[in-house]
Amino acid sequence: MTPLLEIESVSKSFGGLKALCDFSLRVPAGALYGLIGPNGAGKTTVFNLLTGVYRPDAGRMRLAEKSIAGLRTFEITRAGIARTFQNIRLFPNLSVLDNVKVACHLRARHTLAGAILRTRAHRADERSIAEHAARLLDLLGLCGREDAVARNLCYGDQRRLEIARALATSPRLLLLDEPAAGMNPQEKIALRHLIRKLRDDLGVTILLIEHDMGVVMGLCEKITVLDHGIVIAGGTPAEIQRDPSVIGAYLGTAAESKPGTAV
Amino acid sequence: MFVSGAPLLAGVLAALGLHFFFGRDALAYPSKLAQDAGIAIILAVSLTLVNGFTGQFSMGHAGFMAIGGYTAAAITYYGSCLMWESPEARGGLLSWALDLERAPIAAWLTSGDLFFIGACLAGGLAAAAAGYLVGLPSLRLRGDYLAIVTLGFGEIVRVLIQTTRPQLTEPAEIAGASIPVLATSLGESLGMSGVPFYTSIFWIYLFVAITLVLTYRIKQSSFGRAFISIREDEIAAEAMGVHATRYKVRAFVISAFFAGIAGALFAHQIGAINAGELGFLKSFEIIIIVVLGGLGSISGAVVAAVVLTIVPEWLREFAQYRMIVYAFLLILIMVLRPQGLFGVREIWDLWGKGRRARAEAPA
Repeated sequence: MTPLLEIESVSKSFGGLKALCDFSLRVPAGALYGLIGPNGAGKTTVFNLLTGVYRPDAGRMRLAEKSIAGLRTFEITRAGIARTFQNIRLFPNLSVLDNVKVACHLRARHTLAGAILRTRAHRADERSIAEHAARLLDLLGLCGREDAVARNLCYGDQRRLEIARALATSPRLLLLDEPAAGMNPQEKIALRHLIRKLRDDLGVTILLIEHDMGVVMGLCEKITVLDHGIVIAGGTPAEIQRDPSVIGAYLGTAAESKPGTAV
Repeated sequence: MFVSGAPLLAGVLAALGLHFFFGRDALAYPSKLAQDAGIAIILAVSLTLVNGFTGQFSMGHAGFMAIGGYTAAAITYYGSCLMWESPEARGGLLSWALDLERAPIAAWLTSGDLFFIGACLAGGLAAAAAGYLVGLPSLRLRGDYLAIVTLGFGEIVRVLIQTTRPQLTEPAEIAGASIPVLATSLGESLGMSGVPFYTSIFWIYLFVAITLVLTYRIKQSSFGRAFISIREDEIAAEAMGVHATRYKVRAFVISAFFAGIAGALFAHQIGAINAGELGFLKSFEIIIIVVLGGLGSISGAVVAAVVLTIVPEWLREFAQYRMIVYAFLLILIMVLRPQGLFGVREIWDLWGKGRRARAEAPA
């Protein structure tokens, strides 16, 4: 079976800095896949390449066997990849509900004329968007906060709203950029359950970048480890934890275990 | 269908009401002021689409107004001369000259009013086309750069119009001229005069109603949400599948269309139009209204348009200190309410919020 996402020998440099070198990744449909590595390893560059923020210097990227290299951000979203951002990028002055409704934009079938005349079809369309948004907010546990302004939400809620918003585009592949960053231990446990539930209930394939090893190891079925733009290891969480090169990348070459990090 | 047409119907009735309330003399002081306020509302609300919703700082709104105004004025002036051998207005529908006994219904349909409305729409379309041409390349720019390009666009329009040929006034000359000659005889820096007086309170407020209903409905639809998402965070908007450049151009075109209509109404209000008055100072005037009302608030733009039309008149008793006081008031408002009168909200949002706050207070 061909994987949902196939990245083949992709490279990207910024001036003299090789952010990503000959990077390959295969994410099967329905997977919970982790991408980890020390700071500056090139993880977010992978996301930015996948979502058309950057264009690859070389290599191929395919989603469900269709090339997505060189497409622009909104075209990639239409092709079925949605993302959240490492430093939250909500629409700060819009309500929680409107944040999600913006992302339902791709479902909207209405025309400008329909919107102006407020035709029956347009109103039905707006209703279906509102229902879809409400369902997602419910799923993400943001029920009852619809009218709050996004900027005023607490950090964990903002992160979950970003996920709700990304899901509203009905993606086949969801990219989560450090979803657990800034969360407390209870929130992290809840997030793990939530992400697994999204995959199980919605059937969306998830690729996530995460620094919190508890979340990554407890959640992901497969993991790829990047360091300085190069893949240094790949496999199941158990394999990764034993891999000497991973331990070396995180802790330096004298491989000793240090509480709270890689192991 | 009834529900969707109701606000517009209310707008037509309100326009009729204002028309008869202010009475027959279109150039009388209160009537003139009400007309100016109406045109300012159309300009400000249309600019709100670009500067308020979409967050793009356009400084060339008066340029679109000039394009619409000159297009419509050239059509009605030369058209009237060709069809009726005189540029005089041929009143019909709603003109006070209407005499039901002597002028049957058929006379309404051949009246100059319909011709005028056609010219207004042509002016709007010409401005929209200009908006598309300017918007397509320039809306890839952001912030200050876009502001400079649009400022330059407004000035280019003004200078181009001011270098046209003198206005033709002799009927024989007009009859003998070809369309391209007529279209480029727009009265150099003197502007066009002798444009028929068609603009009345009714027509202005009819277009005010159309502008308001349309803008509000766009704001409430996925188009409006796409516009606003670009203002909030363009990168995130694109990540949600919004084709940012396309939506910016759309906002620009719709906005230019109404600026063109406002220009047409303006030209037929006093029977003259001069590109010199429609330079960047006019653009700033509209921007001030939009900023004062709150970037993104339709009702804020309406209130600010009315207030900023009346305040300078009210300040006339201060004679030469008028503009100083006016500027001082503007500074004061910006210091006290930097987000504008209503911020990004509408009046009724604030009212509803106040009520909710009061209702929750005792608990």
